[in-house]
Amino acid sequence: MISGIGAAALRIAQEVGGIVLLTGQVLRALVPRPGAGAWIDGRELWKNLYKMGNRSVPIVVLTAFFAGALMMLQAGPFVKKFGATGLAGWGAGYAVLREIGPILIALMFSGRVGANNTAELSTMTVTEQLDGLRALAIDPVRFLVVPRVIAMVAMLVALTVIGDLVALVGAAVVGKAMLEIDFSTMYYSIVDNLKPYDFLHGVYKSIAFGFAIAMSSCYFGVTVRGGAVGVGKAVNAAVVASAVSIMLLDFFLTYLSA
Amino acid sequence: MTEPAIRISEVHKAYGSRRVLDGISLDLARGTKLGLIGPAASGKSVLCKLVCGLEQPDRGEIEVFGERIVGKREVDLGPLRRRIGMLFQNYALFDFLTVEQNVAFPLEQGAAGTLSAETIAERVAARLRAVGLAGSEAKLTAELSGGMKKRVGIARATVADAELVIYDEPSAGLDPVTTQKIYDLLSADQARTGATVLAISSDVAALAGFVDEIAFLYDHRVVYRGPAATIADAPNALVRQFVRGDLEGPLDQAGPGMASLDRSIK
Amino acid sequence: MSNRIEALGSAALSLVRAGVELWRVYVSTIAGVMRGFSRRKDRRGHGGRARQSRAQSELVRQLHAIGNKSIVFIVITLGALGMVMTYQACLQLGRVTGDYSQVGSQLLRLIISDFGPTLTAMMLATRVGAGIAAEIGSMKVTEQIDALRMSGVLPIDYLIVPRFIACLVMMLMLAVLGSAVMYAAGGLTAKYSFGVNPNTFFDLSFIRPRHLVLFVVKCLAYGAAIPIVAGFCGLRARGSSEGVGWATTAAVIGSSFAVIVLDFILSASALWLTGGDL
Repeated sequence: MISGIGAAALRIAQEVGGIVLLTGQVLRALVPRPGAGAWIDGRELWKNLYKMGNRSVPIVVLTAFFAGALMMLQAGPFVKKFGATGLAGWGAGYAVLREIGPILIALMFSGRVGANNTAELSTMTVTEQLDGLRALAIDPVRFLVVPRVIAMVAMLVALTVIGDLVALVGAAVVGKAMLEIDFSTMYYSIVDNLKPYDFLHGVYKSIAFGFAIAMSSCYFGVTVRGGAVGVGKAVNAAVVASAVSIMLLDFFLTYLSA
Repeated sequence: MTEPAIRISEVHKAYGSRRVLDGISLDLARGTKLGLIGPAASGKSVLCKLVCGLEQPDRGEIEVFGERIVGKREVDLGPLRRRIGMLFQNYALFDFLTVEQNVAFPLEQGAAGTLSAETIAERVAARLRAVGLAGSEAKLTAELSGGMKKRVGIARATVADAELVIYDEPSAGLDPVTTQKIYDLLSADQARTGATVLAISSDVAALAGFVDEIAFLYDHRVVYRGPAATIADAPNALVRQFVRGDLEGPLDQAGPGMASLDRSIK
Repeated sequence: MSNRIEALGSAALSLVRAGVELWRVYVSTIAGVMRGFSRRKDRRGHGGRARQSRAQSELVRQLHAIGNKSIVFIVITLGALGMVMTYQACLQLGRVTGDYSQVGSQLLRLIISDFGPTLTAMMLATRVGAGIAAEIGSMKVTEQIDALRMSGVLPIDYLIVPRFIACLVMMLMLAVLGSAVMYAAGGLTAKYSFGVNPNTFFDLSFIRPRHLVLFVVKCLAYGAAIPIVAGFCGLRARGSSEGVGWATTAAVIGSSFAVIVLDFILSASALWLTGGDL
């Protein structure tokens, strides 16, 4: 029992250490060095930006809409009980912009983009394509990992901005349909009570979430071992690590920025 | 005992726009051994899966032991499948079970679960001894070498004394000595049970020493079938070229790419 | 243009086909559960003992893999969420009224009727959904599923049914655990960051039976949806390692989204059934 806990703790420590090391390599690769060839492979970056951003718009929009709608539903009983229609937009908007929006969007992004990225990288790893790159004297971290990290951070921020707006629309629609709150009441409730900082709070957390998702998905992608079984396990580990780091980062960032 | 073990008539199968089998017909009498050869991706493995009902044909009829299997529901195929043993190309061993549990699996699940635990253990132990794996019972399949995995696969395919055994590439990726050992084992098994055998292999020489007859699959159908012993001198020029590995001949082995390779060699 | 329409049409068609297939997996699973029960009755005492004990040990293994191994994960994630939510709520209340007396009781109401089960399920969809799809998907591409079928075993009965039962049971257990952790973490935050008296915070008087009913209903719905969606994605895996990767990704997205949609449906129906008095 105790040795089991110890072994688990060691394994977690090893993986956290691995992620930190890879982060170091990525950061070093981000510093431009004269004469070291291209800074970042532009085509690879563009391809990933397109793939990660464009293809996850539908799932993010749907998730955000439901997230907003759900928060409005939770505010429903108060509205009915106290007739506080003027406060519903404020409550739902505050929860959506600061917490539920960024977190749910990051979780879905981790599932759609992070997991997909791990699957792709780990397939490349088990089919020895990474070794092929090394044989050509190309650093896989610089060539494959760095563009993906940049693309994921940029795209999660962009998607969070879009998603926040969609979520507010979702809240307004449900408010109108189920709680008979006018759109104008909703609008003023949000605009009067919420500050731009509430919105920014969620957006800047998404930068950290994007980085965490990118690092864990790339780490498990390049360290995978053992064929199809290994690929499945790597994807599984990547989404779990992303979820844990999203929650822990959320906790720390909220306290730091209060 | 008059009806054949397998009767395949006019079977067509395609995946999307890719034709795999195009009007295959094949009969296999009980107790005989048929080898199946042909170029890569000529539909040999698909044919085996069709026989077990693991895949359904687009058109055509398949009978196994006089029972029609086309269009049958998964639940109703169970009893028939328990009479068939199959060695998969990539072993398909259960990676969550040990060697012993893998071999015991068909016995535990089969025959309506009427066997007692002691009988199962006895038969599994006997089978593992026969394939030379005594002492590896408790190992997980991931710890085994390729040859050992093959032997576990063979033990699992034959443990329930199947009336029809299908071997998909029993010797692929094995060295010549191990290959010979595997074929000796297959022969001994067949002699003991009298089962009908359908075997696929790219190693024609080793296969010919094991089976009675060989069928050659080319261009999505069976183009030749004849005795195994004289396959290298078959009247069909395609077969002769394939078996001997000649470069000159009517065989267009891998389409246009291969032809240009030929030219560049010349 | 006609190409676009064609692509859209074929995408819609494949979506419908996937939906039908998903429904069939669901029905077969339920049928498998029923078969499992009836088999147990008539097999008592004779024959089939090896198979039955294997089925039981498989169920225990799944209960452990899905439940016990998720405990740390659930405690960490829901604990962090509980703290953050309380913190944000108090922050906002402090800006407006400065009255913290209702925070604890309202948070508990929200946790039980929504956040507890839903966020636990989101986390389980990530961990367990991906795990199920990875396992079944790699069995599919290595032909182990075909090997099962060759022994006359139905893959759904053998692989999905035990995971389905285990997930139903464990979803309920973990949601209780997750909700308790969330509430406790919230209480600690309220006490140490805003000086709210624990006695005021841990006020159970607002909880009504209908909240608990909603809690259980949500747990059952999520617990059924996650293994079905994930198992379906795993069984559809094709090709080799890339196929397993795709299946796992699809399972995470599919089961998380199923949780969100189910949450919306159940919350809206609850609100409608109670006439807003929830």
